[in-house]
This record gives sequence, structure tokens and C-alpha cells, in this order.
Amino acid sequence: MAKTYDVIVVGTGAGGGMAIKTLCEAGLTVCALNSGRRLDPAKDFRNHRQPYDMTYRGFGDPRKRDRYYHIENEYSDGVWEHGITYTTAPGTSWEWPRCHAVGGKTNFWGRSAARMGEIDFKAASLDGGYDSDWPVAYAEIAPFYSRVERQIGVASTVQNRPSNPDGEYLPPMKLRCLDHILKGGCDKLGVPYLPDRLAQLTVAHEGHPPCHYCGNCTEGCDTGSFFSTPWFLLPAAEKTGRLELRTNAVARSVLVDERGRTRGVAYVDRETKQETEVQARAVVIAASCVESARILLNSRTREWPNGLANSSGQVGRNLCDHLYGTTGYGYLPQLLGQPSFPDNVSASQVVWMPRWQNLPGGPREKFVRGYSIYPTGGCGEYPWYEKEIEGLGSQLKRDLKRYYPSPVSFYCQIPSLPRSTNYVEIDPEVKDVYGIPVVRVHFQWGPNELLMWEHAKQATAQVIKASGGDVWGAGKEPNTPGWSLHETGTLRMGDDPKRFVTNRFGQTHDVPNLFACDASVFLGCSDKTTTLSILAFSLRTSEYLVEQLRTGAL
Amino acid sequence: MAGQGLERREVLRILAIAAGASGYPGFHRWAFACAHGESAPLQVRPARYAPRFFSAEEYATVERLAELILPSDGSPGAREAGVSEFIDFMVASDPGVQYRFRYGLTWLDAHAERDQGKTFRELAREQQSELLGHLAYRDRHRAGEEEGREFFRLVREYTLMGFYTSRIGLEQLDYPGLRIYGESPGCPHPGDPEHRNLKASKG
Repeated sequence: MAKTYDVIVVGTGAGGGMAIKTLCEAGLTVCALNSGRRLDPAKDFRNHRQPYDMTYRGFGDPRKRDRYYHIENEYSDGVWEHGITYTTAPGTSWEWPRCHAVGGKTNFWGRSAARMGEIDFKAASLDGGYDSDWPVAYAEIAPFYSRVERQIGVASTVQNRPSNPDGEYLPPMKLRCLDHILKGGCDKLGVPYLPDRLAQLTVAHEGHPPCHYCGNCTEGCDTGSFFSTPWFLLPAAEKTGRLELRTNAVARSVLVDERGRTRGVAYVDRETKQETEVQARAVVIAASCVESARILLNSRTREWPNGLANSSGQVGRNLCDHLYGTTGYGYLPQLLGQPSFPDNVSASQVVWMPRWQNLPGGPREKFVRGYSIYPTGGCGEYPWYEKEIEGLGSQLKRDLKRYYPSPVSFYCQIPSLPRSTNYVEIDPEVKDVYGIPVVRVHFQWGPNELLMWEHAKQATAQVIKASGGDVWGAGKEPNTPGWSLHETGTLRMGDDPKRFVTNRFGQTHDVPNLFACDASVFLGCSDKTTTLSILAFSLRTSEYLVEQLRTGAL
Repeated sequence: MAGQGLERREVLRILAIAAGASGYPGFHRWAFACAHGESAPLQVRPARYAPRFFSAEEYATVERLAELILPSDGSPGAREAGVSEFIDFMVASDPGVQYRFRYGLTWLDAHAERDQGKTFRELAREQQSELLGHLAYRDRHRAGEEEGREFFRLVREYTLMGFYTSRIGLEQLDYPGLRIYGESPGCPHPGDPEHRNLKASKG
């Protein structure tokens, strides 16, 4: 008879990784399913290669460039999925690259790790009743945030802004020249300009060496100096001897027994295309929210004709994403002609401009909720500002060098509001190469986020000018939905089983031994990134699951 | 900031020692155990380059265009960085851009023949520079040269791509990513947060 594990965890990203570690350390046997292979940092990460070390200088083989060109290049070739993984409804543009390697997107994430606060969990009440509050208060989740921060190491400062609760931090990254200048401009306007909450080690932490500031973070860190599941969570789980990690295992559906409880997961082997069933006492899905919804929607039985745990009809609903876009770019004349500064050290943000709109007691904007902005700039890997500098010859060479330390660019992180028109369903006609039906995505930016986009562009131009800089331009359109890879929703948590798929512990209302540990349980995406909150909620759900198994409640 | 960063190779050596000592049970192999970067192919420049896409005549024109855009003028330019070879390689690899290059080169020759009775390649360097100047600078634009300006933008883009991804080009910018830092490098002007009184840099 086949082995029965205590728990199957589907997915090894932030949510799955935290669940795997927590469950294994609590003494449970875990079978983790990951749809792709393990990465080898020596082979698969950039490893300090410079553009001139690569055949196409990092631009990638033009014949292989596809729609994911913005995220995949020669540095991370072969890590992102190229087969059909979804379709879109008419009128929907959705750009959604998938990383199926062990650790998922944590291998390459942006490392911004701010806590959500009461302003986010109670957003519905605070902004006059749009949608629903989270079923969890900040005070309840705060201890989990602290434990996660201690594990992964987050560099920042105490900032005393209730809208961005402070955590337990390593020393911050130092401000660069351009930061001092932009902060001066922001101070004049009353806009916050502060060190980001950055999950990047400024000092050695828990056995991980500190950052060496090579600037290659988004192609994977070969020293493990920022949080990713393979560097920070899986080693501890594997040390317990209770983890079996099955790679290239593409989850097809969650299996249920005659009592209406899950008994395991069916998956397809990526290479052999053979289907296998694995048995367990409980199942955690953490495949990232669209995939998690897809697995449940594909788990149809006679009892569950619309998908497993979907008595509410809400599985796949309320998909949210961060609207990203370049809200402005220009240059700071103060820095023209200066020698080059080490500005590229964290690959992206050292600082952020956390939400300052619609704060309690402050002025109300035309939109509800609020957004953040990330400033970037300075001496980068490529002189992208060349398009702003005309000419040729010696003059062009001198100008490009002269402007090198001076450019600045800003991108926004704008939460979309949950809407009934933004959702995923199973495409009745299209299957992926493993024979599994794919999702069809319905998604459009709504008026609230587009109002914020316009607001953010104006604010950015004001900041550049108040800092003594000149504006070159701004993005005409926001990025395509899906681009930020910060999707949330589809299995949202709430107390009412008629309106929510999961309860306040991430346990599905319909199937008591089925849990969700990714951003699918989030009510909305707020102006903060998702990873830290995924880790905190996954830790809380996993400990709840351990307790339920221990007491025999399951 | 020359001098602020450690030599990359030295840092890699230090990190490799730290890695061995820590015995950290993460990924099974430390990246530093292998010679990343060092085994990558060097930019070998054969004495006579045989273009993959361009004809010999076209290639000579591309070579000249790159040199006019980024000249060797006391500091290295497109020629030293092998930019024309990069352009030929990229265009050969990219069917989507081949027609635009071929059309643009034809435009240049046709235009030069109409005005000067010679192909672009046969013009004196000063005449070539003069022709490109009208395409490059807004206040020197001439009517009827829209296609030429579009081609100039294209060839300039590829020239800069080739140059500023070469070691020579990145060193000319003093790209900070060529070094690795022992600690978070911050602004070196603590006494002047507004950066109003910075000394102008030489060169």
C-alpha cells in the first residue's frame, strides 16, 4: 500500500516553503510537490557574469524573445515557463510569466518586504465600505511578521508611520547621492522618502553571508544573501529527514474521499507525462493564487461540479494585482559630470515613498486607498537615458558619461480593487502540454487604479522638479496586468462560508483538511508587496494545521 | 568611485573562503567553487572579420557608421570594442530587424549618390559626418530625410548597445557593477546633502 504522508504541500515558493519548514519541524511527514526542477546557483544564476561574458550581451537570442522579454533574458535563460499556461478572455491583456523551479519566484523577487498594517486589513471600513475587511487584525499577525523578519533578515529603519508598521530590522542600506537630493525635494512637498524594508542582508544573518552589492539580485543570489526558499527554508526542512520533495510534479487535482475530505493530490510527471496519486491526511495548496484556484477548479467531482471547496462560487474570484508603471523619469543636474557612484548595488530599490494618500485624519483623494512609489536611478548597468541625448561623435561620448550619475526613474505600486469582473475560470477548450485544462483570465484595470496612476505621475513630476531635477517623461500606459507578479485573491479568507472560500486560518470552509498558504487568501493587495505577508500568513496557517492534527480535530 | 570598491576577484576569493568555513547546508554547491565568468569566451577579434549577415560593402559601411557615432578620439571607441562585429552578429540573429538595416544602408547610398554622386562609403569622412549630422541633430534636420533619421536612430541604438555592454564601454562609464563592495556603499558627500557644491569632475 502506498505511503500516506501527514501533509502534502503543493508549491515551494514563499508560502509553500514556509509551510514545508513549519510542518517538518513540528514532526510531521511532508510530501512537497513542485512543478519544475531544482536550480543550481552555480549554473542557473548569473554569478557575476557581465554583459560581455554572454553571447548576446544579456539581450538574449532575438529569435527566442517572447512576450516575457522583460523578465527573462540571457541571465535567467531556461528558468521561466514557455508553454501555454493560460488563456485570456476578450478584452483582457494579462502578462503572467511562470517560474516553476523549486523556490519559484522567491529566487528572483524584488526583496521589498513591508508589513501590511491596520490601514490595509481594515481598508474596507476606512474607505467607506468598499468590499470587505480582512478577518485578521494587525495585532494578531504582528508576532508572525516579527518571527518571519527574524528568520529572513530585513534591512530598514524605524519610521513611526502607523500606515507602515515598523518591524525588527537589520541596519539599512545607506542613502545614495540621488537619494539625498530626492529626499530634499520630497521633504518640501511633505512626501515620505525613506529606506525601503529590504529583505537583503546588510550584515551576516542566521548563517547567511551579507550582501556583496554586486547588483545582480534579480538574476538569483549565489551567496544566498537575500531571502529565497531554497536558501532559507528548505535546508531546515530537509535536515529533519521528514521531507520528500518531488520535483517536476505538476499538480492536476486535489482528491477527495467519500466523506468529503481530501485524501491526496494527483499530479503529472513533467517528463514522463505519467499521472501519479499521493496520499496524505491534509493538503496545503500554495501554488500561487491563480494556479491554486486552477487546481481546485480542476478538482471536479459529482459532489463538487463547480470545483472543490467552491460552495460559495468564489474560487477564482476577486483576482487583484499591482498596477506597475513608470510614473516619471528625468535627471538631477546636481550630479552632472560627477564621477560614477556605486548606485546599482541593490539592483533596484534602496528607498521607497510609502503610501501618503488617504491616511486617517489626512486629506481625501478622488480615489480610495493608496499607492507607493519606488525611486531608482544613478549609475546603472546600461545608459538607458541615451534616447534623451541626441547627436553623435565625441560630443555624444562626453554627454553620455556626463549624464551617467544623474538619471532618476520612478515606478508605482498601485493596488487594484477586488471586482466581480476580475477572475479566473477554467477554459473549456484549452489544455496545457500535460493535458491539464488551463485558466482563462478576465482582468482589466478599474477606474480607481487609473486615477491613482494619473495622481502618481503628477506626484512624480513634482518630486523631480522640487528636487531641482528636469523631467524627461513618463510611461504613457501602465504595464500590462499580471506584470508585477503580485496577484492576490481567488481563495479569499473570511468568516462567512457563503462569501469566502477559506476561513481566517486559511482552511477551506468546505473541506476541513484542505488549506491555502499563498496570496490567494488575501482580501486585496494593498500598496505593499506580497511576499512578507505570504510568509507570515503561511506560518500562522501552518501552525494552526499542526495544532489541528495534534488535537485530532482533523 | 575608483578605490572604494574591492577588486572583484579578491572579493570572490574572500567569499569562497567564508563559504567553505561556514559549511552552510543550503544549495549543495557554492557557486564560487566554479570559475564563473573566467571561463567565458573572450572577445576575440580576428584579423579579418567575415560578416554573417552583411555583404562586405555593407559591413564596411556599418563599421564606418559605428566609428562616426562613437569615435576613437583619445579614448577607445566603437572600433576598439568590436562594435560592428556585434551589430553584424545581432542582425544576423534577428530576422525581425534585417530588412530595416538593409533598407537603411540602401537609403544612405542612394541619398549620397543623389547629392554627391558617390556611395556613402566613397565619401570623405567629413562628408559622411556632415550627412549624419543632419540626421542626428534636431536643429539640423532636413525635409525628406525621415527614413534616414529612422535608420540613424536604429544604427545608433545598436552601436551603443554594442559599446556599452563591452568591457571597454563599461569601463569608460566606470560602471560600479564591475566591482563588489564589502559594505553598503552610500553617498560620499555627508557634508552636502543637497549636492549643491560638488566639484566638477575632470574629463
